[in-house]
Amino acid sequence: MVAFRNTDTSGRTTGLLLRCVLYSLLALGLIIFDKRYDHLGQIRRFLSVVAYPVQVAVASPFEGWDWFRESVSSRETLRADKAKLEAELRLANFRLQRFEALEAESQRLRALRDNTAAITDRFLVGDIMDLDLDAFRERVLVDKGARDGVFVGQAVLDSGGVFGQVARVEQLTSEVILLSDAAHAIPVQINRNGLRTIAVGTGDMSRLKLPYLATSADVVAGDLLVTSGLGGGFPAGYPVGTVAEVKRDPAQSLADVDVRPAAALDRSRELMFVWLKQAAAGSAAAPATAATSATPTSPANPATANSPGASTAAPAKAATTSAPDKPSAAKTPAHAAPAAHAAAARAPPAAAKPPADSPKPAAAAPSRTGEIAP
Amino acid sequence: MMRDTRVRRLPMALSAVVALALAVIPLPAAVDAFRPDFLVLVVFYWSIESPRAGGLALAFVAGLALDVVRGVVLGQHALALTLMAAWATHLRLRLRVFSVLSQSLTIFALLTGYQFVLFWIDGATGNPVTTFSRWLAPVIGALIWPLIAGALSRSHAR
Repeated sequence: MVAFRNTDTSGRTTGLLLRCVLYSLLALGLIIFDKRYDHLGQIRRFLSVVAYPVQVAVASPFEGWDWFRESVSSRETLRADKAKLEAELRLANFRLQRFEALEAESQRLRALRDNTAAITDRFLVGDIMDLDLDAFRERVLVDKGARDGVFVGQAVLDSGGVFGQVARVEQLTSEVILLSDAAHAIPVQINRNGLRTIAVGTGDMSRLKLPYLATSADVVAGDLLVTSGLGGGFPAGYPVGTVAEVKRDPAQSLADVDVRPAAALDRSRELMFVWLKQAAAGSAAAPATAATSATPTSPANPATANSPGASTAAPAKAATTSAPDKPSAAKTPAHAAPAAHAAAARAPPAAAKPPADSPKPAAAAPSRTGEIAP
Repeated sequence: MMRDTRVRRLPMALSAVVALALAVIPLPAAVDAFRPDFLVLVVFYWSIESPRAGGLALAFVAGLALDVVRGVVLGQHALALTLMAAWATHLRLRLRVFSVLSQSLTIFALLTGYQFVLFWIDGATGNPVTTFSRWLAPVIGALIWPLIAGALSRSHAR
């Protein structure tokens, strides 16, 4: 039996209704201002700094336990771990040997196509704070915030692949929305054939979906999905997941594709925030890039296979001619090609040079410089 | 009366902070959906037990704290908690003489109302959570209400 001890039974609390209405209006005002006008960033930031000690206090026993377990682990365990890590490092270094050369080569080739892909510039490692934010949304709190230059929409990776993106930034912390959140979608590409689509979260950490693939699409179980870099938020070429199962129902126009995420969404403790850098392919590249990315450049489309040469040789021309509408954009390379080949014969040295010796984050695409952190 | 109010403030603040910590403490994903709204239950308790000490201000601040730690739109939990705490305050004289079962049932109604307001604002702000499991929290909350209320009434017993 629950005993309420308060002997104050004076029937009324003065103005309960009035105060209820007052506080409710205040709360409604907060909701509207926060949602509609986004004016409450400062207040929210201040409140989150106030809440930070509570969050740290809650998370610390678990971190303390991890630390304790680590510090009492036996010498043999540590040795075994060290050996394993060294082996992994050796393998990773071995794979890295060719990486820089390949990256340079890739940039040269992209410069030839005037296709400046965003590449990663800088990483920052953050730890996931051991907190449950919301049982129904796949989000985590990370101990890096506005102070460290983290920004909303920033791509977040773990050692396996893409983890998610930053949904909200506070002063000291930031909230990362996982790939698997039901409200999250990421542009991807099948590594085997370049087929582009969008991977959507399911609310289940072990599963993503590809809801927009036709029944006849060339996708099989085991295909690796990588980020396509379209949309500009995520760097291109990072693993997102592997196709686990493809269900094709001839009665449906779309296939039902399950994907297993590459990142350890439910196990990772450390995340990497990524800053993108535009490959510097000359200042003239920017308008051409904008124009080509607006056209439907399917890898299976032979017209676009030609277009790189055309747009390199005459960036301004490609930009202007491909601008009007799609059908004429598809034609453009065809009549621009002869000129392109002639120009390309003397172009290569000049075209290949810029990316090689200008690794600085040149403002190639003005629209995106806002996202490049200091 | 004044003394009474002052005495109550410390256990009130302490229990609210502990409940806030319990609201974000990491649990295995399988159990997470079954987590009752501790802070809400604590606010209900104080709304019934001594509405003058904390009252709706406590409800509002606790709701704001939940908004911040959960990272949802500011004011969502504050609104829901204010409305339901006002209802609980309104019902408090009846609640005090209710049997445990009737109390739990009333708390269930209050918690469901709370979830409904959250659900509504989720939908209105464009990120609806439509899983059924969100309606589990009121059930669990009503089930553990006698425990929470018992513990809290012991906490400030003299």
